[in-house]
Amino acid sequence: MTPKRLLLLLLSVGVAAFIVGIWQLASNLHWVSPIFLPPPDRAWAALLFDIERGDLASRVLLTLEHMFYGWLLASLGGILIGSAVGISSTARAYLAPTLEFFRPLPASALFPVLIAFFGLTENMVLVVIGFGALWPTLLATINGFATVKPRLHEVARLMRLSRRQFILSIALPNAMPEILAGMRLSLTIALILSVTGEILSGSPGLGYWIMLQARAFRAPDLFAGVLLFGLIGYASVQIVSLLESWLLRWRA
Amino acid sequence: MSEAAAPAEPALIAFRGIEVAFGGKPILTGIDLDMHKGEFLCVVGPSGCGKTTLLRLAAGLLPPSAGRVLYEGHDIVGPQRDVAVVFQDYSDALLPWRTASGNVSLVYETLGTPRDERADRIASVLARVGLAEHADKYPSQLSGGMQQRLQIARCLAQEPKVWLMDEPFGALDAITRQSLQDEILRIVADTGTTVFFVTHDLEEAIYLGHRVIAMKPHPGRIAATYPVDLPHPRDQRTTPEQPEFMHLRRVLLEFIRGTQT
Repeated sequence: MTPKRLLLLLLSVGVAAFIVGIWQLASNLHWVSPIFLPPPDRAWAALLFDIERGDLASRVLLTLEHMFYGWLLASLGGILIGSAVGISSTARAYLAPTLEFFRPLPASALFPVLIAFFGLTENMVLVVIGFGALWPTLLATINGFATVKPRLHEVARLMRLSRRQFILSIALPNAMPEILAGMRLSLTIALILSVTGEILSGSPGLGYWIMLQARAFRAPDLFAGVLLFGLIGYASVQIVSLLESWLLRWRA
Repeated sequence: MSEAAAPAEPALIAFRGIEVAFGGKPILTGIDLDMHKGEFLCVVGPSGCGKTTLLRLAAGLLPPSAGRVLYEGHDIVGPQRDVAVVFQDYSDALLPWRTASGNVSLVYETLGTPRDERADRIASVLARVGLAEHADKYPSQLSGGMQQRLQIARCLAQEPKVWLMDEPFGALDAITRQSLQDEILRIVADTGTTVFFVTHDLEEAIYLGHRVIAMKPHPGRIAATYPVDLPHPRDQRTTPEQPEFMHLRRVLLEFIRGTQT
């Protein structure tokens, strides 16, 4: 690690520590009532206590499951639909307006609709996550197909690549940087919708759990849960970023 | 000297009464040209004279507006595996996400070569262009000259009968260009392939070719044909010092100057 990067790392940790310090101060000096804003040390203690008590791990696992399968569904759907749309400019022209209609639709607006179809089930939550997290990956795939350089189209023609070979050997790898960036955005959306889905459906994940803590005025536990969500979001994006830099190692 | 120029042998590629127009604007007109097996044909001319368009016709990437392009007596209707194209912009023509051997492998994948044969054939093709040591590198890790060698290796894998080369060394420095010119001559001598070589470098055209075609623009047409009466193998030090070389260079230079006034 270069000295400059080390310095940046230290500074970024410093900023985070500073914010936690202000938070601690704000509670200790009663700027905000600790009923609403517990100090970080109490939130931390609550987190350790809840973990020790045992039921938090299974809740986190369930939320991770929602997030992961929803994200997987969105990624596969985005890449498959995106490839089908992206391979033909005619299909792109036909489908673009419809996709543009669905894209800005708030995924959370779908909960009431899908609850009517699926009931308060795990599948309902997964479908909403899949729908909401679909767009970044889908649009990235379509765009990645559209940006294949004309020269590579010619190379593909000269080598007489079949349509399938063109998709697998040229179009998808060409779209890969954009697809992975899209999948990183999808991941965050999947986490957001997991929480919303759990709160609405009563599925016993971490999202439902923090709502219970809020209703019981257990602020330290509520903040412990929020902290956990932050950690999950941060860690999952880091993992995907690692995957990204490995898959895109061919870039200069 | 090229025995391929003997009139008895039928043309490998023949252009017959070619007209090409884009949006009503004539690009090529009245092209009649025969390429014979084993011939190294160089095409020179100012920009806009349609050299690249002529190459694209032979590649089957573009149909003529009128006239016929024949390969072994049959109309060319699209790209064919016998004919390989080397582009000038090597970095755009390679797959940046594949290593050197991955780029060559693409050819064998499309040909349906059995998996267990591929590795050996890729290694031998890369060795022939001096890239054996660089098989696992990505194009972004290779110099311009090495990337162009890789594109040539990919074409070698096709085992083509005809090479169509569109200013392949135009973006390279002089030293790299010379060594690649000699490599192409060696490959052509080894494999007996026919070459259609577009260039704007007159000396390169004389050095490489059996015959140099000079084209004029607006609309593009063939203005003159010069046989190159220089012995083989050619040599970067001695060939350019021969009277025939210097004479041809002067004639071509005057021709190019003439098209610009």
